[in-house]
Amino acid sequence: MSGFLDSIRCGDCECNVDWGEKRNTIASVAAGVLFFTGWWIIIDAAVKYPDQDNFNHAYHACGVIATVAFLMINAVSNGQVRGDSYSEGCLGQTGARVWLFIGFMLAFGSLIASMWILFGGFVVPQKAVVYPGIAVFFQNAFIFFGGLVFKFGRTEDLWQ
Amino acid sequence: MAGIKALISLSFGGAIGLMFLMLGCALPVYNTYWPLFVLFFYTLCPVPYCVARRVLDDTDSASNACKELAIFLTTGIVVSAFGLPVIFARAAVIAWGACALVLAGNSIIFTSILGFFLVFGSNDDFTWQQW
Repeated sequence: MSGFLDSIRCGDCECNVDWGEKRNTIASVAAGVLFFTGWWIIIDAAVKYPDQDNFNHAYHACGVIATVAFLMINAVSNGQVRGDSYSEGCLGQTGARVWLFIGFMLAFGSLIASMWILFGGFVVPQKAVVYPGIAVFFQNAFIFFGGLVFKFGRTEDLWQ
Repeated sequence: MAGIKALISLSFGGAIGLMFLMLGCALPVYNTYWPLFVLFFYTLCPVPYCVARRVLDDTDSASNACKELAIFLTTGIVVSAFGLPVIFARAAVIAWGACALVLAGNSIIFTSILGFFLVFGSNDDFTWQQW
């Protein structure tokens, strides 16, 4: 019985994981968690408060626009905007910049709109149930940050 | 090839996970089969990554937009499989105990699927396998 713990090694994993190489994977996973958590928050609010009085169904438009903005932002690569990718793509460099500009405008707009919905639609009128407003805000915040992480968390260097 | 022991332990993990899922549905105190909808997410979970692996050459390992999109979608499917039982429980469609059992089953199943891809996925002669 003596010394039966002697052969236990702590932290001896020798996991030769190159975290630099995994940066894109980690960014993709984090962005996926954020984006889909945002959508499940709004699904939860819609299930809990299905009637129009507690949760005006028009507020869903905010999250939809945020999702469209996410797709627009991530459809163009940073290389196409800088102009140093191999092919010009459908729109060229200027078109890519305009596309990205509109995408970011929609993203910021939907984030600001979600705050407006929370305060203007729920806090100021002192509605009995504030949770749908908070859900709309968190949905859009998560989608926005998921988009940012997916866009800027990944590196496009082919050789590191 | 990692061998038979890994395969057997992964399939045991899968069986335990499915056992937790079925316990969450079939125990007499719960007796509701709504949580079986997460099976849809279990089957859908490997699809994006397998599609990306087949479509790409996998020669440039560092940056690969299609593979990252597949990882993004797979993460979304996993999050959805965890979110669905929680929403069921919050809407009082299932009991919280059933939700906890389903979440435990989810964790074990997704760990098994991840383990399967880590152990058996990085095959050098993947392109010559007949799927």
